[in-house]
Amino acid sequence: MKHKEKSLKCKMKLLKHIIPLLVLFAVWGGIALFCWLKPEDDFSVSERRRLASLPAMSVDSVLSGEYFRDFEEYSLDQFPLRDAFRVLKSVSEFYLFGKSDNHDIYISDGYAVKIEYPLDKSSVRSAVKKLNYLYETYLSDVSGNIYLSVIPDKGYFSAEQTEHPAMDYQALFDIVKEGMPYAKYMDVTSMLELSDYYKTDSHWRQEKIRDVAEYFADSMGASVSGKYEEHVVEKPFYGVYLGQAALLLENDRIHYLSNDTLEKCTLYNEETKETTGLYHFEKLESRDMYEIYLSGASPLLSIKNPIAEKEKKLIVFRDSFASSLIPLLAEGYSEITLVDTRYMSPTAVGDYVDFAGADILFLYSTTVLNNSETLR
Amino acid sequence: MLFSSIPFLYYYLPVFFVFYAAAPGKWKNCVIFFGSLAFYGCAEPKNLILILTFVLTGYLGGILIVHEQSRKTACAQGRKTACDQKNKDAREQKSRDTWEQGKRMDAQQRKSGRWCLAVSAAVLLSFLGYFKYADFLLENLNRLTGLSIPMLRVVLPVGISFYTFQIISYLADVYRGDVACQRNFIDFGAYVMFFPQLIAGPIVRYRDIAGELEKRTHQIKAVYDGVTRFLLGLGKKILIANAMAQLVDIFRASDQKSVLFYWIYAAAFTLFIYFDFSGYSDMAIGLGRIMGFHFPENFNYPYLSGSITEFWRRWHMTLGGWFRDYVYIPLGGNRVKKSRWLFHIFIVWMLTGLWHGAAWNFVIWGLLFAVLLIIEKLTGFTEKIPKAFRHVYVLLVLVFSFVIFNAADMAQAGSDIRGLFGFGNLPLYTAETMYYLKSYLLTLIAAGIGCTPFPKYVFAAMQRRSPGVFSLVKMVGLVMILLLSTAYLVDGSFNPFLYFRF
Repeated sequence: MKHKEKSLKCKMKLLKHIIPLLVLFAVWGGIALFCWLKPEDDFSVSERRRLASLPAMSVDSVLSGEYFRDFEEYSLDQFPLRDAFRVLKSVSEFYLFGKSDNHDIYISDGYAVKIEYPLDKSSVRSAVKKLNYLYETYLSDVSGNIYLSVIPDKGYFSAEQTEHPAMDYQALFDIVKEGMPYAKYMDVTSMLELSDYYKTDSHWRQEKIRDVAEYFADSMGASVSGKYEEHVVEKPFYGVYLGQAALLLENDRIHYLSNDTLEKCTLYNEETKETTGLYHFEKLESRDMYEIYLSGASPLLSIKNPIAEKEKKLIVFRDSFASSLIPLLAEGYSEITLVDTRYMSPTAVGDYVDFAGADILFLYSTTVLNNSETLR
Repeated sequence: MLFSSIPFLYYYLPVFFVFYAAAPGKWKNCVIFFGSLAFYGCAEPKNLILILTFVLTGYLGGILIVHEQSRKTACAQGRKTACDQKNKDAREQKSRDTWEQGKRMDAQQRKSGRWCLAVSAAVLLSFLGYFKYADFLLENLNRLTGLSIPMLRVVLPVGISFYTFQIISYLADVYRGDVACQRNFIDFGAYVMFFPQLIAGPIVRYRDIAGELEKRTHQIKAVYDGVTRFLLGLGKKILIANAMAQLVDIFRASDQKSVLFYWIYAAAFTLFIYFDFSGYSDMAIGLGRIMGFHFPENFNYPYLSGSITEFWRRWHMTLGGWFRDYVYIPLGGNRVKKSRWLFHIFIVWMLTGLWHGAAWNFVIWGLLFAVLLIIEKLTGFTEKIPKAFRHVYVLLVLVFSFVIFNAADMAQAGSDIRGLFGFGNLPLYTAETMYYLKSYLLTLIAAGIGCTPFPKYVFAAMQRRSPGVFSLVKMVGLVMILLLSTAYLVDGSFNPFLYFRF
């Protein structure tokens, strides 16, 4: 009887303390061992960024505390199964703690939307000031027409239905319009809806903005056929929000539109001195497949249409939203120059761009205007 | 290095425990000493010399106090000729003997070590004053005199308030003859720098763990209990406190504040400070338990208190105990005339406020509690009102007090309190307020429940009904807490730690 009792006690102890402890140590120790032994990764595809590597140790870096700060960054970046843990966090935020967003990104009808809130009026005014500098320096005497359009981010379409915070878009549009009275404003808000954007990315989809391109062309007196062949890239597109918020969402597909004219157009990149087609297929292997359009972020690009019906030039001051739109305007112009003052000093623009006889288009998204520190 | 960090959880701690488990008997304290040195070195490499100076001051201070008391004892016995020999003997005496002798000492003999205690404490407090209060004093001096003495802008060494108080408590206890002087430098260093409680408490007094420093047992159950406590603390800190801190930050950044948002902020900060600090205390206590130590409890469901007096018996208990035993009672406590007693209370609470930070809002925060404690003691009104009202009263006082506590300065404290009452044409609520309320509602509710013993009762009931299933559920729950906390850390989520600044 005593032996039985003792054996039962032993079993209980095993069940109550030893097995749980062994399991915990196995999980904890296993992860720790993995941390110590895992080879370093250079790059995070989902987050589209370089990962921190093991910092070099020196007396100075240790004494200043820099080494341990860098080591913490390294330990986070190189953590085993980092993406899986980030997804676990994101899922628990939404489904365990009932949070409405993760890293300010929420899901609306299957679309990842970033909360752009609140409206930073000083940022928008600063952006307008920077654009006015371009006008005053280069454009006040040009003979061409000046146009302006602001592209709303996804929050414009989803925030109201989902009750997520959103900036006062009308106030932003008003500040821009009032600050740039010399430009004819082209309102695109009524032509767009949430489905015109990628589910996992901030940008709009080229195949969904044909009407916007036609409206721009009409407004600016250019002629485009609006007839394209639609091509789909087989490789899945993981947009920027997917990585930022570690969301469990379906991937997108990149579509691109082409026709004979567009295929004959050439794109010259002033930075790389390369001449390519409008679509840069090598970029499908890069960290951001959206760069297929006009080769992605570049300070200065020039599109030449060799079979343009007439000599008509357009100069676009723009952000990345223009990359997928401008190819659809290429038919209507003999030459389109795209200037991105996030990567090019406004003072240097005059050295590269001839404004004579050209129409001008300022094309910026609400996101860039509300965070205009990126503009030079 | 925070406990709630990847380097600590997956780099430092496993290595430390491998060495700790491998070290035989007495060498375990050596592992604690050098391991703690490495821990502090990771957080504050520049201040390693400082903390070692503190350890040395405490160590020598204790020895000198005992030495002086032994010398005076011998001289007082009229053995003039044997005095020198006695002094030598005293130095060589084993600590236990000295302690026994100390216990037998009368007040006169005990007083003989006073200058050693005073000098040691003065050295420690001077460092604390320089690092923590110099700029506060200079700023006020400049304000009062119109001078413009430049600020020193010294960075506060992590945990200095905690280890200063621990060493002072040790010296005072040695002086009183309550504990034996520790003559082993490594053991004393292991006590002061013991990493679980080094940077954020609980304030462990030497007498609490003196026996366990000498000899302790390591049992499977204790290790499991320690791991459990550590992981629960980790979860409290990362899953609840950090979320509350995020909400506080969102409120601060908002330009659409409303009355409701002010209340949400106040509630969020009140919950944050509890989960943040008690979570850290749980982690410390758990780590101590794994290594065979029993640290004192620091929190006992403080938000359930029916009076402010009771609250301070349940909140940061080790700090309250410290001020009671080393300031309030030595001043005379309540065994003096009423005016003097009230003065003692004000002194203690002003110091409590100042301990939390060198700014006037902390002083006001401390004095607010002094006033409330005096009112409670003099009128006993909390006993006369219904129980529910008592809790409402305590919670309201706490919410207001923490709004003052968290303010950057008195101007912000005033503005926040006005906001709670809707002054300044604030709307009752805004769309933004409702959004964040909805977004954080589950966490707020979970935190609210977590402040009560309700989860403990539920787990106890589960354990009674089905111990086997409970063990399994508990194990899975702990693994989930570890994995979820890791996920939140890996995602680089918000991870502030308030008590780091003390």
